[in-house]
Amino acid sequence: MASSFANSLLLASFFFSIFFNIFFFKKKYSLGFVSYILASFILIVSFFVLLFFFYTSNFSILAVYENSHSLKPIFYKIAGTWGNHEGSMLLFISIIAVYGVCFIRITKIEDVFFKSLIIFFQNNLQIIFLLYLILFSNPFDEVIPAPKEGLGLNPILQDPLLLIHPPFLYLGYIGFSLTLSLVLAGLLSHNFNSSWVMIAKKWILIAWTFLTIGISLGSIWAYYELGWGGFWFWDPVENASLMPWLASTALIHCLFVMEKKEQFKSWTALLAILTFSLSLLGTFLVRSGILNSVHAFANDPSRGLFILLIILIITFISIVIFILKTQSNSKKQKLIILSKEGFLLFNNLFLMFFLSIVVVGTVYPIILSALFNKSVSVGPQYYNALIAPFLFIFIILMAIGPLLTWLENNFFNLKKRIIFTVLFTFIITFFIILLVKKTNLFLIIGIFTSLFLLLNTLIDAIKKNYFFNKFYQPRIFSHLGFGLLVLSIFLNSFLSTEMEFEIQPGKKIIKNGVSFEILNTYETKQKNYIELISKFEVIKNNYSFNLTPSVRKYLQPEQLTSETSIKSEFFSDHYIVMNYPKGNLKSFEARYHYNFFIHGIWFSLFLIALGGALSVFYKK
Amino acid sequence: MTIHLTKPVKKRLLIFFIILIVGVVTANLILTSLKKNLVYFYSPTDLKLVTNLPSQKIRVGGMVEKGSLIKKDNLYTFKITDLKNFLNINYQGILPNLFVEGQGAVIEGKLLNRSTLQAESILAKHDENYMPKEISESLKQQGQWKKNYGK
Repeated sequence: MASSFANSLLLASFFFSIFFNIFFFKKKYSLGFVSYILASFILIVSFFVLLFFFYTSNFSILAVYENSHSLKPIFYKIAGTWGNHEGSMLLFISIIAVYGVCFIRITKIEDVFFKSLIIFFQNNLQIIFLLYLILFSNPFDEVIPAPKEGLGLNPILQDPLLLIHPPFLYLGYIGFSLTLSLVLAGLLSHNFNSSWVMIAKKWILIAWTFLTIGISLGSIWAYYELGWGGFWFWDPVENASLMPWLASTALIHCLFVMEKKEQFKSWTALLAILTFSLSLLGTFLVRSGILNSVHAFANDPSRGLFILLIILIITFISIVIFILKTQSNSKKQKLIILSKEGFLLFNNLFLMFFLSIVVVGTVYPIILSALFNKSVSVGPQYYNALIAPFLFIFIILMAIGPLLTWLENNFFNLKKRIIFTVLFTFIITFFIILLVKKTNLFLIIGIFTSLFLLLNTLIDAIKKNYFFNKFYQPRIFSHLGFGLLVLSIFLNSFLSTEMEFEIQPGKKIIKNGVSFEILNTYETKQKNYIELISKFEVIKNNYSFNLTPSVRKYLQPEQLTSETSIKSEFFSDHYIVMNYPKGNLKSFEARYHYNFFIHGIWFSLFLIALGGALSVFYKK
Repeated sequence: MTIHLTKPVKKRLLIFFIILIVGVVTANLILTSLKKNLVYFYSPTDLKLVTNLPSQKIRVGGMVEKGSLIKKDNLYTFKITDLKNFLNINYQGILPNLFVEGQGAVIEGKLLNRSTLQAESILAKHDENYMPKEISESLKQQGQWKKNYGK
């Protein structure tokens, strides 16, 4: 009953989408918009119906039965809606629809055909994925007879951040569906010019901002919930989200040149196609079960194959449209290297270089295992060693680029400013090195270059009063954020320490100048788990504090998870993760992290996202 | 016969060669760095069969043999088996919560000799039904696969 009701919603949405296509070809555009909005509305309702099934623990629905349990807190029942493959696919399609509807309602375009063409592409993306959902991955499949109890949700996923991390990431990834629709429609209707940028920019920036927030939340989740002790591990799943981020960041910078000079047009189009393809590839890698990770829901290879096929078709069609419809620049303009557009070109070259490093490192092992049945993994050193030296150059260019002007070379007017900031940066770097008492060439260059960016951006902003200028605020905040991010990453990776130890309750141990003691241990019983908590006393440099790491023994499904305990100071975190003691609570194994400047990373991510958000709200 | 190149053609040729050189250098840089940092995966049986023992860091996966885990001071030893052959593992550090005898695990480290691996890290799994793909594959090949492993 419940299942057939929900299934009829999916079908209804599918047919209204088909109606849109019919109306579109009959040139009845306003009727088309109505049926598209209906199709999308019904689809979004079906998502909320699924959410309702999870909320009421309706185990006659397969997805609910497999991923929920009646004892679970309401919070996680709701989050369970997208904590599985089928549900997350429905969320995926619903978001395509949300973007389509918002675009129709918000963006005003005189040319009705152009607007319909954009929605035509958006609608057909929706159709493709809806077909996949109905045929291969239907969340509303029924279990007969209805079981009394569900199987439960992976305990690692039972975290408040799960409620927001996937939706944000999806709003980012899938926001680029609209970017693709805009580009393809623009190319086909010969509207791909600077006024196209005016329409598209906001939508691209919205998706980029959501993606930035989504990645940050994932990083925060790994740090606080998974107990990984750091913020980034070059895990293929993390890389999957970084790939579209790098491509879209390049795209955004390209848009400025296209808006100003109508240059880089075909490159912009190509980047837009690349961005959405990488978003799809990311979803495919993460969801198909090819990568071993907590994110891999579908372990059914046929599903993965279908998603791969869909990606290939979408990318192929986009590339064909791109090749057939891209116009060569009518007005040939000379490119001046030492100008704003010249530096934006460098920005793109470097971002593409970083992107290729990440793509090769992520995809190569998969290809090797698919073709030669050889299993390999790529160590983090590959990324660090390749990216770091080029990041230094990138960041110096990033400091200078915004100071230059469009169309002309005023680089030499900046000589004084640059010499001054270089000297000033040297002095600050010197003092920081004195303070942290660590000399390492990479650390010094890392601090120097990121400070150089921060200082130049700050001086520029203060001199020209950009902090209160709505047009420049986005760039200032994002660039300051990026400078601070690099600074924080270098400080964090060179000045943090980590140690593992074994400890018996009541016995004090001292390791590397830090003393640990377990004051007491106790168990508490919660609704769906038993928690074993240890109270640690830690003394470092005569500073004493308590930490209470714990291990949860989940009942449904039966599993252990470690809960971190963190003491935050302004500059650093003290972080303990403990393991479930083997044998009678006599001996505990634990890991202690001293994480320097980790808050700088969170704050800089916030600044970067803030820049994106401000540019979305900017009005001329 | 001499070929006279016009100025724009010369310029285009120059740009083409610059792009070519930059492309080749970049690709070479990425690939050599990749090669240096690849970690290969072996099953205990693979290690029995190879002629040249790998000297760099490798990953070994299989089941933790029941009853093989011994702790002496802060040194763990245990056996990783693919149910045909096994490999002795030495490990100093904390065992992850999900490291359980009789279940799957992936170990990263360097070989001391053909039958012993000095582990640097033990890769934590994410849930109790989860089986690293590498292991499920070698178990499947040997007909030891149980259906509930996949989930």
